[in-house]
Amino acid sequence: MNILRQLLRRLIPMFSIVVIATFLLSLLMRLLPGDPAAIMIPNGTIDQQIEIAKETGLDRGLFGYYWKWFSDVFTGDFGKYYLNGGYRDLGGVIADTLPVTLMLIIYAQIVALTFAIPLGLASAYKEGKRFDRITSTVMFTTVSFPSFALALIFSLIFAVNLGWVDPIGYVSPSENLGEHLKLMILPVMSLAFGLASGYTRLLRTDVIATLKDDYVTMAASKGISNRRVLWRHVFRPSSTTLLTSAALNMGGLIGGTIVIETIFVIPGIGYEIFYSIGARQVVAMQTLIALISIGYVFFNTMVDLLTQITDPRTRERRA
Amino acid sequence: MPENSLSSTETAEPVIKTKKPRKTIGFYLASAWISLVMFLALFGWVLPTPQWDEASYENLGVAPFHPSHILGTTNDGYDMMASIVNGARISVIVSLVAVLIGGGIGSFIGITAAYFRGKYDFAVTMIFNIMLSIPNLVLSLALLSVLAYSDENNPASMTRRVVVLIISLIIVIIPILGRIARGSALQWGSREFVLASKSMGSKNFFIIRKHILPNVAPAILAIGFLAVGSVIIVEGSLALLGIGIPGGASWGSMLANGRGNIEYSPHEVYLPALCIAFTVISFNWFGDYVRVKLDKRESKI
Repeated sequence: MNILRQLLRRLIPMFSIVVIATFLLSLLMRLLPGDPAAIMIPNGTIDQQIEIAKETGLDRGLFGYYWKWFSDVFTGDFGKYYLNGGYRDLGGVIADTLPVTLMLIIYAQIVALTFAIPLGLASAYKEGKRFDRITSTVMFTTVSFPSFALALIFSLIFAVNLGWVDPIGYVSPSENLGEHLKLMILPVMSLAFGLASGYTRLLRTDVIATLKDDYVTMAASKGISNRRVLWRHVFRPSSTTLLTSAALNMGGLIGGTIVIETIFVIPGIGYEIFYSIGARQVVAMQTLIALISIGYVFFNTMVDLLTQITDPRTRERRA
Repeated sequence: MPENSLSSTETAEPVIKTKKPRKTIGFYLASAWISLVMFLALFGWVLPTPQWDEASYENLGVAPFHPSHILGTTNDGYDMMASIVNGARISVIVSLVAVLIGGGIGSFIGITAAYFRGKYDFAVTMIFNIMLSIPNLVLSLALLSVLAYSDENNPASMTRRVVVLIISLIIVIIPILGRIARGSALQWGSREFVLASKSMGSKNFFIIRKHILPNVAPAILAIGFLAVGSVIIVEGSLALLGIGIPGGASWGSMLANGRGNIEYSPHEVYLPALCIAFTVISFNWFGDYVRVKLDKRESKI
């Protein structure tokens, strides 16, 4: 009951934010100079353009168009990506590209956490020692290293100079798993690098605070080995912030993969956005950007809610 | 507690700092790099380099340390040193102007929202949340592709693109800094001295200027430095996607042009990439230093 009320209290603002954001997006799209239908198929005939304007609701004015788009998306019709003399169904495009992007993001998260957890624990344990100072400095420096610069430098070193992997391309895992993983190494590394630094810093801060708790001294004085104390007694309570931030990053990363996908020519949702902007596909742009912001808001709301359920201290007083 | 600025700032509990944050080597390197970039941006024209947009057809794609081209040339014969100097100017102008204007507007909206509360605050928070619900890059991508619309028949001019880019970045910055300003101003606005000033009959904007702004400024300043870094990244990403500043006029744009020649003249890629990376990192170091330094006063109370 309590949780249900909390859920509602979050879902209503979330829903209104999504509605207003997508409405503003369609307003933005209507600001494009010229007739949007003509922009979408510049070489099409007038009849084709009129038909498209009718089909997308572009002939109905701003509110009519938005309502048409909104109700279509709500009923599962995501619109079309128009080509000269044909179209691609956006629902299909999303079904094809979203898993690729999610895979990329999940790989990056796994790699980042694999590096960040031991490093964060070790550098907190050795707080102030040389190891910690070096790790902290390196992490502070690399956290802000732009992923696209990293991507280009990686492909320069590993693909062009050393020739270990192909610089661009994508193979689906069902087709050839080995080749898939090999091609994903560079994009995943470029994304994971900055993430890992951020996570290490977060975990280090929390672990340092936890290490000062009495029960840790207690555990250590019982003669439990340091390694066990660190993993069993310290890591678990310290990992909340880390996991929250990892979950929050999911939404932001969908936007952040646009450049990486474009550099490595990976057919994900980011590449599709880039492509639809280049081709001035008004409807596709709106649907895909809306999808990303819905995902972003949804993730944030869910994480917020989950932390409240799991950690009673953060619950609102009144509820 | 060691005197290292990193370890002392990152503990979860506010630690009472009795010493100044240590100026680490990173701080000096960051200041040196920012000064160098600023110098190049302002006085780069005194350097004896060729014009950045004039190609030399004898020296196509030469490697760095060539006698007449210190950082080499691009595959089309443009001098790298001149391009980097010109890129510094564009990147620095774009990011500083965007952060200054965006930060100013954002702080004003954020502080007034926190001070006056009510419906105004509700509306501002709502708008900030909406704008923050679209990732930075996607928002500026959408804004830029619509506002600087160009096709084969009427290509958008360089000036127009730069102006539109700055406007899009300002729109991106406003909610980021606005939310920080609002959060900080909410805390300070409920302090006793504000109430005291109010009860003595001070005017609202006098209180904001005299009591709230000076206290909120450090937080805004620190985040502002970080924002310069992220604006440079967004600018680079946009150029890389081909809708930012065209023609190798900014660092990101140099990357976009050089990507295709990565096999023949790798310096076309790694030089601008490192410039962007160093600048972003330096601004972050700087912002962190400012944050620690200004934070100290509060912890002493």
